[in-house]
Amino acid sequence: MKVRDLDCLYEVCPIPLIKAVKELKKMNSGDVLVVHSDESCVGVMMEEWAKQNHYSIQIEEPKDGEWEIYLQKP
Amino acid sequence: MGNLSSEAVNFGKDGTDAMKRWLKKPWPYWAGGVLLGLLNILLLAVSGTVWQVSGGYLLWAAGILERFGLKPFQWDYFQSFQPRYAEIIATHSVFFNQYTILNLGVAAGALIAALLASQFKLGKIKGWKQAAFALLGGILMGYGSRLTGGCNIGGFFSGIPSLSLHAWVFWIFAMAGAWLGAKLLIRFMT
Repeated sequence: MKVRDLDCLYEVCPIPLIKAVKELKKMNSGDVLVVHSDESCVGVMMEEWAKQNHYSIQIEEPKDGEWEIYLQKP
Repeated sequence: MGNLSSEAVNFGKDGTDAMKRWLKKPWPYWAGGVLLGLLNILLLAVSGTVWQVSGGYLLWAAGILERFGLKPFQWDYFQSFQPRYAEIIATHSVFFNQYTILNLGVAAGALIAALLASQFKLGKIKGWKQAAFALLGGILMGYGSRLTGGCNIGGFFSGIPSLSLHAWVFWIFAMAGAWLGAKLLIRFMT
């Protein structure tokens, strides 16, 4: 299992999701992608996407107004 | 990481109470849509004007050009839109008028919402590419909104309930533009 970070700070919807999908294509089953974002709608969007594509997802807000979105490839 | 669950959204260690959730979690689109519709009706009932955004910035820009000695209010554009802006131009209130109040309200409301959610944060420019595309996009949107007589708020969002046919034409072309924009976004921005 590999963990990869994707810096999407200061980037607006839907760019973080497009970048994440591109990055996940290069990863293997079980790998985790951590998307860093400062926009609340990114998590909402990714949650919906993860549900449709059967990815595990967890969203943390380690700092106020900053999110880490963990996506695990099935 | 095996027990990740799509339901497991964390709102911070002490953020379990409903009020905090309500303030912090983005509301669904339908809730925003219903609220915007109701507030626009209220605004029309109270002030006699529907919500519009870009017209206010147009007046600011024209006011700035006036300071540089140009006479934008004599241009053909303002001749065609005379009824809409005549009063503001005549009373020299291009910088402070009902549109300015609406635009300040948008910024103030967004600030209050961000502060209540403890999510206020200064943004940064990520790179020259992002800045260049934002500027180019802004210019295209601003120019387009002036050609059609309103942006997606004044021309579309307030235009549809006004039973204006032009708002439906706006919608068709905004959809086509969004489709093209999405293609360009994937091609150039990611």
